[in-house]
Amino acid sequence: MYKIILSFRYLFKKRISYLAFLAVALCVFIVVVVMTVMTGLVTDFKQKNHSFVGDCVVGTESLVGFTYYEDFIRILDKEDFVESVSPVIKSYALISRVGSERSYGVEIMGIDAVRHSGATGFGKTLHHRKDDVSKAFEPVYDLEKIGCVLGIDLTLERDAKSRYLYEASPAEIAYSVSCFPLTAKGALAKAAAGLVNTKTFYYSDTSHSGLARVDGSTVYLPFDQAQLLCGMAGPFKRVSWLHIKFKPDIKLEAGCEKITSLWQRFAQERKAELLDRVTVQSWKDYRRELIAGVEKEQTMLIVMFALVGITTVFIVFVVFYMIISHKSKDIGILKSVGVSNGNIVTLFSGFAFLVGVLGSAIGAVGGWRFLVHINQIEDWLFEHFKFQLWDRTIYAIGDIPNAIDLKVLAGIILSAIVVCLIGALLPSWQAARSKPVETLQVSQL
Amino acid sequence: MRAGPATTALLISDSMSKDEFILRTEGLYKAYRMGATKVSVLKGINLAVRKGEFLAIVGASGSGKSTLLHILGALDRPDKGVVRFEGRDLSRLGAGELNRFRNKMVGFVFQFYHLLDELTVLENVFLPAMVSKGVVGWLACRRLAKRRARELLVQLDLDERAGHKPYQLSGGERQRVAIGRALMNEPRLLLADEPTGNLDSATGNAILNVFGELNRAGQTIVMVTHDERIAQIAGRIITLADGKIS
Repeated sequence: MYKIILSFRYLFKKRISYLAFLAVALCVFIVVVVMTVMTGLVTDFKQKNHSFVGDCVVGTESLVGFTYYEDFIRILDKEDFVESVSPVIKSYALISRVGSERSYGVEIMGIDAVRHSGATGFGKTLHHRKDDVSKAFEPVYDLEKIGCVLGIDLTLERDAKSRYLYEASPAEIAYSVSCFPLTAKGALAKAAAGLVNTKTFYYSDTSHSGLARVDGSTVYLPFDQAQLLCGMAGPFKRVSWLHIKFKPDIKLEAGCEKITSLWQRFAQERKAELLDRVTVQSWKDYRRELIAGVEKEQTMLIVMFALVGITTVFIVFVVFYMIISHKSKDIGILKSVGVSNGNIVTLFSGFAFLVGVLGSAIGAVGGWRFLVHINQIEDWLFEHFKFQLWDRTIYAIGDIPNAIDLKVLAGIILSAIVVCLIGALLPSWQAARSKPVETLQVSQL
Repeated sequence: MRAGPATTALLISDSMSKDEFILRTEGLYKAYRMGATKVSVLKGINLAVRKGEFLAIVGASGSGKSTLLHILGALDRPDKGVVRFEGRDLSRLGAGELNRFRNKMVGFVFQFYHLLDELTVLENVFLPAMVSKGVVGWLACRRLAKRRARELLVQLDLDERAGHKPYQLSGGERQRVAIGRALMNEPRLLLADEPTGNLDSATGNAILNVFGELNRAGQTIVMVTHDERIAQIAGRIITLADGKIS
C-alpha cells in the first residue's frame, strides 16, 4: 500500500516528475499525430487505387490488347462471386482543344460508363453526372454530341488555397483526340494512310479520382469510340483490360484465384495467340509500383519512430535516474524499516507506470484535439503565412487525414508505458541494490 | 511524553526469550576502502546487551560507533565476527528474514530523523506496519495500525500534528515522529544514532527524557553518542576508541 501512496505522491509532489510525464506526453503527441496523418494518407491512397481499379483486372499491358473478351465476360457474368465486369480500352493519344495548335499526350480509357461504375468507383469521381452515370458522355449543352470525361487537373483551375474551381456546368469545349491504331500483330494499322485516327469529342464532365497521375493525364471516352480510334474494332474485337468487382463477402485472394483458374481454362480452350500475354492480377498487384512506394515510406516512418522510441527510452532513463538519485535517502529509510530490494524496484516501477499512463493520456488527448482542428490550423497558417503542409498543386490530397485509429492509439499508449518501465528499470534496480548505510550516512546529506 | 500503564502494556513485548541477553557480538571486525587505503573501523568488538537495558556507546567522531550500531541493526554486515539477536546469528538470515528483522525486531532513530517528506506525520509513524503487509493485508488491519499510530503520537505529544508534513515540524517534533515510527511494530530493540545530535540542548533533553521513560517501561535501548553528558542518562556506558571497546 505504501508503494501506491508513495508512487502517487512522487508523481504530483515532485516538480521533476512533471518533466518525465511531459516528455512522455510530447512523444505520444508526436507519434499519434504523425502516425494518424501518415496512416490516413496511405490508407486513403490505397482506397483510391482500389476504387480506381476494382477488385481484380484481367488484361495485358500491350497496346494491342486481347481477343474473345466478350466470351470471357459471358462466363464471368454467370459466376455467383462476380458482381460486375467492365471492359476497358487503354491506350495513349494526343489531345488538343479545337482551334488551338497546342497538343499534349494523354492516356485514354475507353469505358462503358455504367458498367465501369459497377466494377469501380468511377461514378463517384464525376462532378456533373454523379447522379446519372449513364449520361457521363452526354454534354449538357448538346446531348447529341459525343462527350469525353477529362481528369480534373486537365480542365479545372485551383484557387489560392489549391481548391478546385468547379463550374456550374461544363463549358462547351471540343477536343480533338488522335490515336495510332494498331493491328493484332502490333503493327501500325494505317501505315499507308496517315497513321492516325482522329475524332472530335466534347467536354462533358470531370473525373476526380484523387490519384495525381490519373487526374492529370487521363481522358475517358465511350468504349466503342475508343475501340475504333485504337484500331481494336473489326471482326476480332480487342480490349486492353477487364475490371472485375467481386461480391462483398468474397475475399480478394480467393476471388482472384477463381478468376485465374477460369481464365487458364478459357485460354487453353481458345488457344489464341494474344491470350498468352494476358495476366490476372488483384488491384494490389496491379498498382504495386505505386502502392509499394507509399508502403515503404510508412515502413520507414515506423522504423524512424522506433528510433525515436529508443531516444525516448534514453530520455526517460535520464529523467528517472535524476528522480531516483534524489530519492536515495528515501530508499535508505525504507530499507531501514524492512522494505526489500524487490519492493523498491516495484515502487519505482509503479511510479514509472503512473508517469507512462499520465503522460500518454495527456499526449493522446492533446494529439486528438490537434488532429480534430488540424485542417483549420493549416488554413490559418496558409492565410497568414502562405504555409501548407502539402502543396495541393503537387499532391493529390484534399483535407489532411485526421481520423484516429483506436487500435493504433492503444498500441502507442501501451508502448509509451513500456518505454517508461524500461527507462526506470535500471535506475530502480541500482537504487534497490544500494546499501542503506551509504544513503543514510550523515555525509550524504 | 505522557506515560502510564497503557504505555507499559504497549511497549513491553509479551513474548520474552529465556536468554537474559537480547544481543551479543563476538569478534566484530569491519573495514572500509577509501581509495587505495583500507581503514579498519571495528577491530574485534565483543558486546552483550541485556533485555531492558539502556546502553550508551560513546566515542569520538570516526571511532566506529555508528558503524557498530548499523551492524547491530543489520543495516550493514561485518567483515568478520558474529552478531546474535536472541541467540540467532544474523549472518545466517536470508534477505527476506533480514527485512522482517528490521521491520519487526528493531526500531531505528537517526540523527537526522530521516522521515519521508511525501508522507504525513501519521503515515510516517505507521509506515513500518504498512511495509509488513500487502495491499489486502493492510486494508484488513489499517484501522488497528492507525489507532496504534495515533496512540503513539498522543504519548509523544504530537497528536495535533498528525496531518502535517515533516517540513512543517520543528527538529524536536521530527525526532519524536522518528521515535514513534521506530516503536510502531513494538520492536524488541531500539537503536538510536546520535538522536540529539541535530537538536538544541533543551529539545535534546526532552528527547532523552522520552528515551528514559521508554526504558523505564521496559524498552531495550542502545544509543550512540559522542557526548558523555548525554550518555549519562543510560544505565551503562561503554567507550569505543580506535575500533575497540575500552
